[in-house]
Amino acid sequence: MSFDLTVRLIEAVGATAAGTTVMVPLDGPDEVRTAASWADATGNTVLMVHPDPVEIYRGRIADPIDALSPERRPGHRLWIYTNFHCNLACDYCCVESSPTARRRIIEIDEFAAIIGEAIAADVAELYLTGGEPFMLIDLDERLRVATAARPTTVLTNAMQWHGERRRRLDALPRDNLTFQISLDSATADLHDRHRGAGSFAKAIEGIGVATELGFRIRVAATLGPDAGTTEQELERFFDDLALEPDQRVIRRVARQGSANAGLAVSRASLIPEVCVTADGVWWHPVAAIDPTMKVVDNWAPLRTTIDTIRDEYRTHRIANDVLASSFPCA
Amino acid sequence: MADRQEVLVGAVAYSANVVPIWEGIRDYFAESSAPMDFVLFSNYERQVEALLAGHIDIAWNTNVAWIRTLRRTGGTAIALATRDTDLVFTTVMVGRAGSGLDGIESLRGKQVALGSRDSGQARILPLHFLHRAGITEADMDLVIFDSDVGKHGDTGRSDLDALRAVVDGDADVAAIGVNTWNSLRAGGDGAVADLAVVWESEPYSHCNFSVLETLPSERTRPWVEHLLAMDWEIPEHRRILELEGLTEWKLPDLEGYRSLTAAMDEQNISDHW
Repeated sequence: MSFDLTVRLIEAVGATAAGTTVMVPLDGPDEVRTAASWADATGNTVLMVHPDPVEIYRGRIADPIDALSPERRPGHRLWIYTNFHCNLACDYCCVESSPTARRRIIEIDEFAAIIGEAIAADVAELYLTGGEPFMLIDLDERLRVATAARPTTVLTNAMQWHGERRRRLDALPRDNLTFQISLDSATADLHDRHRGAGSFAKAIEGIGVATELGFRIRVAATLGPDAGTTEQELERFFDDLALEPDQRVIRRVARQGSANAGLAVSRASLIPEVCVTADGVWWHPVAAIDPTMKVVDNWAPLRTTIDTIRDEYRTHRIANDVLASSFPCA
Repeated sequence: MADRQEVLVGAVAYSANVVPIWEGIRDYFAESSAPMDFVLFSNYERQVEALLAGHIDIAWNTNVAWIRTLRRTGGTAIALATRDTDLVFTTVMVGRAGSGLDGIESLRGKQVALGSRDSGQARILPLHFLHRAGITEADMDLVIFDSDVGKHGDTGRSDLDALRAVVDGDADVAAIGVNTWNSLRAGGDGAVADLAVVWESEPYSHCNFSVLETLPSERTRPWVEHLLAMDWEIPEHRRILELEGLTEWKLPDLEGYRSLTAAMDEQNISDHW
């Protein structure tokens, strides 16, 4: 280790208050390695490597990912957009799906390869969405691959279970498979206003079909600015359906895709939920057509991409914590 | 009280920055007719006790510490000076932009994140303003962060914990001091860009330099006069003013403590620890 570098590190970091950072100018990758080694040995943390200096945090930093519950940690859950076309054209759809949307289908071979990478990356559960996944007549083949690997949830409007699709639905495994069915209100008015005339009745019918066939279901509502007292009414409706708390999802519309109003979201303000589409890997499924939320163009190698996402999340959270110590006295 | 020439000022060490701040203020006073030194305390309660015991002459108090001092002295304590920013302090309720929440009434039935129990801006006053609007604890789902008890919210830690709950979807709004909000916005943080103020309180007074009435005015007057003479346009003064979060020292506005006084009464907050 260079004596000069060591002295510079001791001087700079020694004069830095615990919980704050200091930039130490460095010359080349060897000095970066030296600084990282010194920081580790002396109870400090290299926060970021900039083009020339390295930013050192005085003290050890707890990993912000460890602070999240296991199911919220990036990479625990993998979302896959099997396709983007849909029988509906909801006016708040976060990815602008519709019958005429570009389909962007992930075919079965590629799907199986993604599942293989997900297993290798220690993904614990799979979420399939679209578009409407059941627009794919051979979705059942993907579901067999997915459920054999990990607990799998499919987001669906439950309106496609007729004819051949119904026959294939009947034959699906019940284990490791949950249908998350969209239902935005307790009565038809609000639901149909956003999702299309007649869609409420068909969703209710679909909930009945899935239940009768012995599938585990979850019911999910997306509420916009006009929701009013819908949330309370929905909870009562869910009670009538005898849904357990973990079978109910109520969330707000995000200002993404077709939605011109709703919650503002960005990489900086969302805990990432890694999401694969035919176009690449995204920070979160609620923003899978927003260019600022795209992480990489190719899903392979998935473990590397998940690590990249974790690092970005970690860096941002740590930077926020450092900011806390810079506030003027109240 | 010890026999000494220097005015001894107490402050709470809410962060490592406190040392250069008070060293700078001490240096500024060194050539004046009212030289001073300082001592640091780990919490405001210990500092108030030291002021009452005569171990320090002046305490740089939060608004909660000031009310406690005032009450413990039967209303005879005196506030000498304050920051300009302390005269217009507010609490802001911050939620995710686009949430549709607007105004304090919209918080009924929502998850409201609050900071430490001794923080005027992040806990005591927000609860008071909510109560005044007819919204009780039973009307909300409170998410509490007692992250920096003893510092009266100075560290900003509990403000940030409450805000994080909003970002992570664990709360609809967070009640934080406007100083924290302004600091976050100034930093250009991406997560902050996705947040918006749902409601802002009326202004209230925050910190002040507190003394006992027994401290002779011939000691306090030159000290206050020299303090008020700090000038933003003079670089060495400005460095201290920026670190301490003000542009000008001012005389206090005691009317600005009315809301906190009422809040502490209403919430039965002790005059002691």
